[in-house]
Amino acid sequence: MSSAAAVAGEHEGHGAHAHVLPPDEYFGEATAGKLGMWIFLLSDAFSFGGLLLAYGILRGGAQVWHHIQGQGGWTAETEPTLGINFTAGLTFLLICSSVTMVMAVASSAEKNRKATLVWLGLTALGGALFLGGQFKEYFGLFGSEGLIKEGLVFGHSAYASTFYVTTSFHGAHVLTGTIYILITLARTAMGKTDANEIEILGLFWHFVDLVWILVFTFIYLV
Amino acid sequence: MSDAAPHTHSRKQYWVIFALLFVLTVAEVALAQAPVEKTLMVGGLVAMALAKATLVALFFMHLKTEMKALKLTVFLPFLFPALYAFVLIAEASWRFLK
Repeated sequence: MSSAAAVAGEHEGHGAHAHVLPPDEYFGEATAGKLGMWIFLLSDAFSFGGLLLAYGILRGGAQVWHHIQGQGGWTAETEPTLGINFTAGLTFLLICSSVTMVMAVASSAEKNRKATLVWLGLTALGGALFLGGQFKEYFGLFGSEGLIKEGLVFGHSAYASTFYVTTSFHGAHVLTGTIYILITLARTAMGKTDANEIEILGLFWHFVDLVWILVFTFIYLV
Repeated sequence: MSDAAPHTHSRKQYWVIFALLFVLTVAEVALAQAPVEKTLMVGGLVAMALAKATLVALFFMHLKTEMKALKLTVFLPFLFPALYAFVLIAEASWRFLK
């Protein structure tokens, strides 16, 4: 079902707040809200692009990038290696949450409110677990030492600073997305949302997943 | 007039994309820890990351079934940061190697 059709067909219980535009020659039945979200995501993508670009330039021109004792003549403080396997788990978690979100979008298009609520709840859970994982990575949890205690301190090196700026900026997006999902979940439970709103929420959440795919590769793997 | 197909929500397709994303993530982690030449490794990792990002954009964000104008609006601007990245990182690396 197209989003405009979904909007037109689901006005029960939430007034006439969704204004349906006539089909556009270039953008078809895409609603103003959906186009607005795409434009926001483009600008947000450039913010992440700027951070990754700065990371690439600093790394490309660095004499010593990762300060490991005995390497590159570095003898002072040693910085820990990032935990690839743990973060791969977080990546998998975010991919799972993308699937649950797309299922929520599909369920809302089929006007199945109960299923929409379940899938949105699972997506929010995925976001919360990801944030918990990021907290553990930074500060330590359940007896494990975090990266900060292990010597990866913001401001001590370009390696540390670019890591924290980029991953925490993404973490702020996950936090925002999780809150956005919880608000939409509550509104859906009250019958105040339509398929168009869930689709717009889905665009934001998939973008958060898409950006993490790139951050994980460039910051952790390369 | 419209070149956009309506969004069809094929759950089977979503699970196939999920499986592909999972396999590519496992392959990325394996390649990052494999004893291969650095340039080959970086090339492989970037290619797999871009493939995963494209899968998410096309199928989960439904860009595949959007109209051409929206597809171009989203994809074309990324050519510029890609160009900046290539030029600036290559320049920084060249200064370091000099």
